[in-house]
Amino acid sequence: MTNENRRVASATELVDPPQHETPAREPGSGRAALLGAVIGLALLLTGTGAVASMVGAAKGRLTAPAAAAAAQAVAVADDAEAPYCTPAFKQVLQRVLNACGLVGGDQRRGCQPADVKTFASITDDDFNALFTPLKNRGAVLMFDDGQDVLDAPAKKLLDERWLDRKGARYFFVVARASRDGTTDKNRALSHKRANSVLFHLKESFQDPDLDSQVGMLWLGSEFAQLSDAYCEWQTSRPGIKRCTPEAINRSAFASWVDCRL
Amino acid sequence: MRAKHAAMIATIAAVLGLVFAGYSTYDYAQQLDRQVHAVHCSFIPGAPVSSDADNPCKAALFSTYSAIFRATYWGGVPISLFGLGAFAFFVGFAAYLRIGDRRLPKSAYPTFVLLALGPLAVSILMFTISVTHLHALCKLCVGVYSASTVIFLASLVGWRAHAADVGAAGGSRPVGWWTPPLAFAALGASSLLPAIVYVSLLPDYRPMLDKCGKLATTSDPHHGLLKIRTTHPLRAVTLFEDPLCPTCKAFHERLVDEGVFEQLDVTMAMFPLDSECNWMLDRALHPGACVLAKAVICGGNDKARMILEWAYEQQDMLREAGKQGAGPLAAKVTERWGHEIGQCVTGKQVEIQLNQELHFAANNHIPVSTPQMFLGDERICDEDTDLGLRYTMAQLAPEVLRD
Repeated sequence: MTNENRRVASATELVDPPQHETPAREPGSGRAALLGAVIGLALLLTGTGAVASMVGAAKGRLTAPAAAAAAQAVAVADDAEAPYCTPAFKQVLQRVLNACGLVGGDQRRGCQPADVKTFASITDDDFNALFTPLKNRGAVLMFDDGQDVLDAPAKKLLDERWLDRKGARYFFVVARASRDGTTDKNRALSHKRANSVLFHLKESFQDPDLDSQVGMLWLGSEFAQLSDAYCEWQTSRPGIKRCTPEAINRSAFASWVDCRL
Repeated sequence: MRAKHAAMIATIAAVLGLVFAGYSTYDYAQQLDRQVHAVHCSFIPGAPVSSDADNPCKAALFSTYSAIFRATYWGGVPISLFGLGAFAFFVGFAAYLRIGDRRLPKSAYPTFVLLALGPLAVSILMFTISVTHLHALCKLCVGVYSASTVIFLASLVGWRAHAADVGAAGGSRPVGWWTPPLAFAALGASSLLPAIVYVSLLPDYRPMLDKCGKLATTSDPHHGLLKIRTTHPLRAVTLFEDPLCPTCKAFHERLVDEGVFEQLDVTMAMFPLDSECNWMLDRALHPGACVLAKAVICGGNDKARMILEWAYEQQDMLREAGKQGAGPLAAKVTERWGHEIGQCVTGKQVEIQLNQELHFAANNHIPVSTPQMFLGDERICDEDTDLGLRYTMAQLAPEVLRD
């Protein structure tokens, strides 16, 4: 066979042989099968390699420190923390909780004036100022002279305040007496007023958590007396004709406190 | 059309199917790191991932139909892996048909037709599931369905054209008895290989399943939590749900679809991500969720599930109503559930009960997110509430998995 006669098949002819050629030659079919297998196998191995790479990369990210850090950045449910929860305010309230039986399983409930003076370490005005942000949150429950019985408006207002809990965990009751009468008598009277609030809440709501929620202080007439400016706060007797300093101190201030303590 | 043209079309379709299956597999494998990832959702290969949080491709990916062996492997084995291998095979086989053309044995095209029935049947099945169960068509999936259909149609056309071409040429072809078994074996091996490699490289997720916290207290002294009735309550769980949270809806549907929900002894706490009642947020993520949470609570143990599932079904409509304020939303509740529930929603008592449920969450210091599921007191990680749910249940509570 001469070089002129030797004919090299073009790629097109290999793929698509001319009509006049006999199509029944097995080697042609075998070559096609081989090419098809190579193409398919190459794609399969490439795809499988990519899968291995994807899974490997995911495994790497799974153990990367960045993943753990991101996972920890989620907010956690907790009690409310209002802007008025200043360090000074929380310090006083924390001392109330610790000293007055709410924390630590102490059987004693409530704090008397001597306790408050000791643990608060704060002047009368500064103590009262701490509660100023609670002007709209709480209410002043007023009592008759020398009495410790909650009247109907006081009970209604107390119930409303108790039910308006929102995110607060602690409910504080700060009971007082006016300067009329002796110190001992007023100390006892303010104690009874605080208890009246507590007993009413217990009777009305029978809340199993109540004992761990209500913090009480009774200040008698010897510590942190209120000025008549507090008559402008929400009281159980808004229509009272003469809201004197004596009248506003025959009271118990009750409020939820939106602080984490 | 000549056979070689049909083979060429089949080759191109198989390549496209390979690309779509590849993207689908990539999106699935991304989730193996238990983090949140966007997914591809376009007919255009190479298009960027979709920023839409609720696109149909994501719905399909996180559905119970996207993978098999989900109780054995975390996330299961995605079916796109089998597609990946199968399409690689079909590219090779179609190329063989194109190159071999008239020299092909008689059995080549019939074998191709027979094999092309496989992806076509799977595509028809998955298409039906998408339409009837997911109510959405994911573009990547549609790409795969289309590729499978085109391959099958091209195989039919090619078979007929090939017979005509060979007849016109006047030759006779050998039967090629080896073609069907060899091709079947090759297709089987191709389909399985990526899945085998995938499974062999999966991380061990078992140590991670119980590392997401515990409930400090499961007791509820106020009895404010809801007890949801199920048919076979085998295992106690506590769920924190938000009626307007899309993830809660998907999670609830997943529990039901998996047959898990009916096996659970469900205690439910409403945890609406709405600052109107939830002090733990500074803005409402789901405005109106408080109203609907109250509606669920108003349903009591008997109706709570029905009202919650109604809220999930009508979530889009209710979300829009919620943006208009509590009034329109409460009206929707009244319209559907009557005046008794409607009046209850605006009452004081339900407000107190919802508040107690929120305090239950606060006392347990759970993450501020929904949904959350506690198996006993063990928190199920968020990452295990979707793709890994069945695996997690198989590991931690196998009794709740339906046979």
